[in-house]
Amino acid sequence: MSSIQLKSVVKRYGPVEVVHGIDLEIEKGEFVVLLGPSGCGKTTTLRMIAGLEDVSDGEMSIGGQVVNAVAPKDRGVAMVFQNYALYPHMTVRQNMEFALRPLKLEKGEVERRITETAVLLGLDELLARRPSQLSGGQRQRVAMGRALVRTPDVFLFDEPLSNLDAKLRTQVRLEIGKLHKRLGTTIVYVTHDQIEAMTLADKIVIMRDGYIEQTGSPQEVYTRPRNRFVATFIGSPAMNIVPATVKDGELAGDHISVPIPDRFRSKLTEGQAVDFGIRPPEIEQVKSENGAIAKARVEVTEYLGNEALLDLRIGSQELIAEVPANQCPGEDDEINIRFNPEALHIFDAQTGMSVEV
Amino acid sequence: MAYIRKRNRNIFLVFMMPAVLVLFGTTIYPMIYAGYLSFRSYDLAKLFVPRVFVGWANYQEIIASSEFLHTLTVTFKLMAMTLSVQLVLGVGIALLVTQRLPGMGIARTLLLIPMMISPVIVGLVWLFLYFPELGYLNYFLSFLGLGPYAWITSTDWALWAIAIADIWQWTPFIMMGTAAALTNLSPEPFEAAKLDGNSAWDVFWRVTLPQIRPVLISLMFLRAIDAFKIYDIIFVLTKGGPGDTTEVLSMYIYRQSFTFWRMGVGAAASFVSLIIIVVLITLFFKSLNREAHQA
Amino acid sequence: MHQLTTSNKILVYLLLAIVLIVFMTPIYIIVSSSIKPTPIMFQKPPAMLFEPTWDHYINLFTARPFGKFILNSLIVALGSTAFSLFFGSLAAYAISRIRHKRMNDVAFWILSMRMFPPIAVVVPYYIIFKASGLLDTPLALIIIYSTANIPLTVWLMKGFFDEVPRALEEAASIDGYNLLQIFWYVTLPLAAPGLAVSAVFCFIFSWNEFIFALMLTGSNAQTATVAVMSFWSSDAVQWGRIMAGSFIILIPGVIFVLTCQRWLVRGLTMGSVK
Repeated sequence: MSSIQLKSVVKRYGPVEVVHGIDLEIEKGEFVVLLGPSGCGKTTTLRMIAGLEDVSDGEMSIGGQVVNAVAPKDRGVAMVFQNYALYPHMTVRQNMEFALRPLKLEKGEVERRITETAVLLGLDELLARRPSQLSGGQRQRVAMGRALVRTPDVFLFDEPLSNLDAKLRTQVRLEIGKLHKRLGTTIVYVTHDQIEAMTLADKIVIMRDGYIEQTGSPQEVYTRPRNRFVATFIGSPAMNIVPATVKDGELAGDHISVPIPDRFRSKLTEGQAVDFGIRPPEIEQVKSENGAIAKARVEVTEYLGNEALLDLRIGSQELIAEVPANQCPGEDDEINIRFNPEALHIFDAQTGMSVEV
Repeated sequence: MAYIRKRNRNIFLVFMMPAVLVLFGTTIYPMIYAGYLSFRSYDLAKLFVPRVFVGWANYQEIIASSEFLHTLTVTFKLMAMTLSVQLVLGVGIALLVTQRLPGMGIARTLLLIPMMISPVIVGLVWLFLYFPELGYLNYFLSFLGLGPYAWITSTDWALWAIAIADIWQWTPFIMMGTAAALTNLSPEPFEAAKLDGNSAWDVFWRVTLPQIRPVLISLMFLRAIDAFKIYDIIFVLTKGGPGDTTEVLSMYIYRQSFTFWRMGVGAAASFVSLIIIVVLITLFFKSLNREAHQA
Repeated sequence: MHQLTTSNKILVYLLLAIVLIVFMTPIYIIVSSSIKPTPIMFQKPPAMLFEPTWDHYINLFTARPFGKFILNSLIVALGSTAFSLFFGSLAAYAISRIRHKRMNDVAFWILSMRMFPPIAVVVPYYIIFKASGLLDTPLALIIIYSTANIPLTVWLMKGFFDEVPRALEEAASIDGYNLLQIFWYVTLPLAAPGLAVSAVFCFIFSWNEFIFALMLTGSNAQTATVAVMSFWSSDAVQWGRIMAGSFIILIPGVIFVLTCQRWLVRGLTMGSVK
């Protein structure tokens, strides 16, 4: 049993509280991603799970056992550090051997595990090399190997891809995904990159300023964001946010007016200040002004091959739209646009919370 | 470099010339003169006796003499005593002082003071502590149930007296360099070891020590060079005595040259010691290179 | 690095306290003995609270012209420092900038100066200076100390010059400045901390030096370190004056440590540890 449970976990450094009473449940075998901007507390939370930081308040349980006072080595976790944390003066093999020493295994078992892990991660040719003789991607894999070789109950990853170049990032990302499928171990993964989160996670935990903003599957957080922050953090290009006021069954903004879909009627009050959100792919071009929500001027077009991104100007605001490349208008054109009403999100302007919640 | 052309290179050489000349003048010239001396009988005590060319006589006298051999033994023995203790103590204190605890910075700074004091002063204050009958060291030791020791007057303890004073002065040097090296180490591997559960001793012996080994070698090398030349402290504490129990190389040269006024012999002894140190350094670097190639 | 439990922390502080006591007691002894009246100087248990006396300091300056000797120390130290800084930094710049395989040899030769036992060179120096009439003059010491100070300056300044980006010099060169101007206006100001460090090291070495000063000076150019030893004759050891003199001599060293701590490592290990 290796579920992880955080109950009202607080982290303080002196008088400063950086993690404010968070609750989290992680099921066995789940791939959970802690996602958020820098300083949101995701790494601190990961380190508390690992035992590298003390829990100031609240309860941390691993495998049903409260582990607040339990040393890291007794928690059954292994960690892949952001900068790999490899022993620079030891070979790859020695790095892995050193990680196994505390387990006091038989020599044969140690050998077996190292060989298996090396083959699994494609490191078998590199066992006699030192970290300084390896590329970034190879060092990454050695860091994973060092964690893997201990056959832990929980794998912790601290922004493992942030030091790799873009191409390598995609490659290693895929490998991590495959690894999870193959081993089925519980994984807690920290990143600020929402693409990593969306592609790898069973469950995403979005954090900001020491609070959990939303927990859910990638689909959930994408289609039903709880607040404006989550809505704009997830999805690339980011969701467009437009300030408006509720007036006569319409959302009235600057040079733009959106009819309010039925499902929102009861949740809104007349005169309420809101922000409505619409994702770039959900902005469609229409031929005529009938059925159009607004008229927009195309400022910049970015051709991406399959799609094109349009930088639109409506009144005083800028919206980004994503259209199929073959429908791309010219720059400085005036076009009519409409939104897919099913894809509309409405957030209270003051609280930022979605009115659907 | 694009802008270094031939003409500029000459200017650079001009930059360097004065320093080279000065160094040349202050080292090579006296060395040559000393070489000249070493082949002569140059007894200043007898002012009007001609300074005769005696060939290798001075060297033969030195190499054959049991006194010189004894001097070498004392020198190397003292080096071994001081360097080994300084290394262990220095590294140990460095480990203490690099802990992330309040007050460590001040402690670290204070501990640097002994090595910036003139060796003469070090000698004098330890003389105060060692002084027969009056010195405080025996008094303090009596509380631990040790002593009393006749520090500078007994043949058993004189060398230790010097060693202790030298250790007191130079351990901070090892501590300082080691502490700097320790703080330069990346902390992440240590976190990984903590997570994996490696024991503290294992971490120190297999992770910390191997990484600071090059620095330790540098530090010990510098200390060894200085320890070979040790002089001031001995001059103050024992002047080579009692008898010749603490007569190190520099004291021997001093005695020959300025007590017996046999400058020729003194010069010859200087050269012999120079050769010894050059040989030692060369051996040292050779073994370093061999290690580097093996690694 | 290694996280500590509370009991471990106490142990660390305990050990550190012992270490500090061991290393600081002799310093305390110098300071307190210099103002302790002679009769109670060796009192056991040691007299911790007592009526301080300035007699030792007064005697120090009246029994011998100690003030003159301090001045000598200062002259020699400052003189050697200036001399070494000037020639040393020029040479260091050349070594830093010239790419030539021989440069390593030159650098090594300069470094090797440090390895000669001073006493080995005293004999010839004594004779040379005696012959040229330089015995017992500050100039003699200034020359000799340069043998140690120039290599130190070169080694330190080379490191600092290495850290000045060549791109800056190249930009100045494109703007039309010649080498000397670049050195003076661009490189040297950026390496100024190195000059400060070198100056301090040269000063301290010269100030603390004993053996050459002893051998090569007499009543005229004697330095403070030699003078303080003179209070120890075959008749009596005048501890009060010795301690007073010692205190004065150790002041620059202590000031140095407290102010230049950052650079100590680099200077004393000749750049091998950063």
